[in-house]
Amino acid sequence: MTLKECYEKMEANYEEVIGRLRSERLVQKFALKFLDDPSYRLLITSMEEKNYEEAFRAAHTIKGVCQNLGFTRLGRSSSALTEALRGGWSQEADSLLEQTKADYQSTVTPLQALRDSQQ
Amino acid sequence: MKKTSNPTRFLTLSLIAVVVLCIVIFGFLAFYMDNHNKETINEVGAIYMKGMSERITMHFDTTIDYNLSQLQGIVEAYPADSLLPQEKLREQLIYDAKARGFVYLAFYSQEGELEPLFGPDLQLSDPEPFLDALNREENRIAVASTASGNRMMALGVSAEYDMTGDRTCTALVAALPIEYIQKILSLDSTEHENSLVYCHVIRRDGSFVIRSGDAFRESYFERIRALFEGVNEIEAEQHVADLERAMNAGENYTNILNMDGERRHLYCTPLPYSNWYLVTVLPFGKLDLIVNQLSSQWIGMVLGGCAIVLCALLLVFAKYFAITRQQITDLKVMKAEAEQASKAKSEFLSNMSHDIRTPMNAIVGMTAIATANLQNPQQVQNCLRKISLSSKHLLGLINDVLDMSKIESGKLTLSMDLLSLREVMDSIVNIVQPQVRAKNQQFDVAVHNILAENVLCDGVRLNQVLINLLSNAVKFTPDGGSIHIALYQEPAPQGDDYIRSHIIVKDNGIGMAPEFQKKIFESFVREDRTRVQKTEGTGLGMAITKYIIDMMGGTIQLKSAVGEGTEFHVILDLEKADTPELEMILPNWRMLVVDDDEILCQSTAASLKEIGINADWTLDGESAIRMVERQHQMRDDYHIILLDWKLPGMDGIQTARELRRRCGEDVPILLISAYDWGEIETQAREAGISGFISKPLFKSTLFYGLRQFAGNGSDSVPTPEAVPPQEQVDLSGRHVLLAEDNDLNWEIAEELLAQLGLVLDRAENGQICTDMFLHSTVGYYDAILMDVRMPVMTGIQATEAIRALSRPDAKEIPIIAMTADAFAEDVQRCLDCGMNAHVAKPIDVDMVARLLEKCIRARGKAGEAAYSG
Repeated sequence: MTLKECYEKMEANYEEVIGRLRSERLVQKFALKFLDDPSYRLLITSMEEKNYEEAFRAAHTIKGVCQNLGFTRLGRSSSALTEALRGGWSQEADSLLEQTKADYQSTVTPLQALRDSQQ
Repeated sequence: MKKTSNPTRFLTLSLIAVVVLCIVIFGFLAFYMDNHNKETINEVGAIYMKGMSERITMHFDTTIDYNLSQLQGIVEAYPADSLLPQEKLREQLIYDAKARGFVYLAFYSQEGELEPLFGPDLQLSDPEPFLDALNREENRIAVASTASGNRMMALGVSAEYDMTGDRTCTALVAALPIEYIQKILSLDSTEHENSLVYCHVIRRDGSFVIRSGDAFRESYFERIRALFEGVNEIEAEQHVADLERAMNAGENYTNILNMDGERRHLYCTPLPYSNWYLVTVLPFGKLDLIVNQLSSQWIGMVLGGCAIVLCALLLVFAKYFAITRQQITDLKVMKAEAEQASKAKSEFLSNMSHDIRTPMNAIVGMTAIATANLQNPQQVQNCLRKISLSSKHLLGLINDVLDMSKIESGKLTLSMDLLSLREVMDSIVNIVQPQVRAKNQQFDVAVHNILAENVLCDGVRLNQVLINLLSNAVKFTPDGGSIHIALYQEPAPQGDDYIRSHIIVKDNGIGMAPEFQKKIFESFVREDRTRVQKTEGTGLGMAITKYIIDMMGGTIQLKSAVGEGTEFHVILDLEKADTPELEMILPNWRMLVVDDDEILCQSTAASLKEIGINADWTLDGESAIRMVERQHQMRDDYHIILLDWKLPGMDGIQTARELRRRCGEDVPILLISAYDWGEIETQAREAGISGFISKPLFKSTLFYGLRQFAGNGSDSVPTPEAVPPQEQVDLSGRHVLLAEDNDLNWEIAEELLAQLGLVLDRAENGQICTDMFLHSTVGYYDAILMDVRMPVMTGIQATEAIRALSRPDAKEIPIIAMTADAFAEDVQRCLDCGMNAHVAKPIDVDMVARLLEKCIRARGKAGEAAYSG
């Protein structure tokens, strides 16, 4: 699987990120590192512990990373979740969290596949 | 309305009460003081009179005593049993009496017969008590009168001298003129006009011994009765009775009488050596006059004071009353306004729900149709196009509502940034062009007198204002109408740092009724639907526009008439951006500008002059052809011709065609227009037009448009340098502290920024960032890139902490925010806490590099300024 295919599967913007980071090698390096990023775990545990301030920050970080890496789909849902958590917990937060979880899975699965194909 | 009259009544009542209270208190004071004055005078009078009478009595006593002792002296000097012969004795007695000032001397027989030794014959006025006393060997005085009526004061001293006819006298009697006594007693009021007091001497029966003043009756009692006659006879009798009783008892008597229309103080005391009484009278007339004057002055003052207090009270009450009334009126107005606003809001809500439902229905419906026709791509494409249109429309509505709610909650902020008016005008012309074309309207852009192209302003909001005004103009102008936007500048009153920019958007559309013009800038208002039913929108656009202009410190004015069109005039005082002026010089060409707008021609000629070009101008195609032909014949062709597309009579294309026909292909002819070049390019190229310059014609627009025609290459024309070379900043080797909690983000940032040659240090959160900066040597870091959302300490807190440090570089180190929040409010919060700039994630290397260069350069300049200053 190529990086471009992976990005297509993730519904991410390959052209944009290449335009910005200018090197496929770099994009791949960072994209794969996303698998080890702790923010998602932090988001899930914070939400479970109802620590919405921490959850907000985690969602915010995911949003920032997604923007940096051009992960459009996950970026969109995490951004919505960020807004829902900006003033503490709000009604939409839970459904948006589910959406974020789903988008995270659909982002991580192709990335793992990419990593596996590289090894 | 009952409620409003209550405070009025209360006020009136309390005012009256206070006035009455004032009058009563001051009246009582005046009355009391007046009374008290009289009492005081009476007391003073009594004391004075007593002293006076005592003094007079004492004086009388002393005088009589003295004269009696003189007489006694004579008697003792020549005793009756002396050996002197009778004749000699009498001579001696006469001599001594004369020497002591007596005017009369006589022996007084026990029977009361007087044998004068010298002086006139005397008749005693009241001989019995005198004789009795002398017979008892007491010294005595009496009043006597001569035959001619001269009154004398007789003094008697016991002595036993031989009288004629072998009798022995019982006393020696001498006399003094009565004036002497009067003088002594100060009874002669004619000599003491200034003295208030006058006295009488009376006997017990009231008859006068000595009288003074205006008294002429024989008895003092009669005098009193006469004076009181017809006024208060009972009081007179009472007074006489009291006086007699006091005299009989030998007591002093004092009283105050009202006589002759004035109060008189009377004091009666017995005199020694006689059964006479001294009556001293003090008329209060003069005293009363003085005191009354004082007291009337006093009352006057009191009343005056009272009046002033009352006036002040009245004033206060009136003012208070007016304020209350004003408040009530204000309340009513505010209530009416609030009701109006709430009504407008609910009306707006019902409109909005309709307006939102319409595109929403379209979206839902079209989605359903598209789903049903998945196998038909044509149909799906059509549906998607409509969905996209409806969603755009819906987005517009929602954006307006969001803006309005931001405005209403006071959260709308402006982010001032460097802005090129040329770019703003270009971009809105581009945006409006399709709308104008769709409605087949005339569109023109005029820019003149531009003094500063680059200003500081919120570009997004300025765009919003202009697009709103222009799209309203397009919306409310029928097909084929005309729309005009103009921009010009003049010096601002605030000084050289500012520039006053006028933007005029004008159309000849349906216009507005005067009533609607008044409320156009209010929220939630749309003109009655009969005329504008087809028009879409929230009705918030103008309110938002007005609000943004207000926030920018500008004004917006409106001129409109139904059926004639509308003109909006926006005036903004914008701060000039201190960007280095570009050196824009072109060869010394001769040019011709053809446009039907005279002001635009003049302004363009002036702009060209600044670039170094001499330009002629004319207003129509026909004269342009004549001018070009003339120059051609003179072998002095214009170098370039600028030709407006829309000209009266012969239009730009026709003119160009004619010019090419007459003067050949050499001279470049450029079309200037506010319309899209794409529409007319083919036609224009065929007519021989060499190029296109888009209106508005800023100086820079002209420069960049004309530069390509200058010579063969760039060597003849210098490329403008926005940044002089010496000010360019080399970023390689610069130390930058980057605060970023996320490892992945940090790696990406490091990778990207390392390409610029920057040396990066990472801080995992705001606290670490602050510590690292604190422990670095001064000036080590050239800038800090700061994530905003971080654990432990946020970027905002960290910035505040760093700015609060006392290091010399704490205030000046550039701190640039890097965050995924890109709303104006977030940017504003970053700038408010002391950051220099803001860059949104994802990281754009060029953008970061530009910002770093700018900040580092600014810091360098500030540093130089600090050292040189």
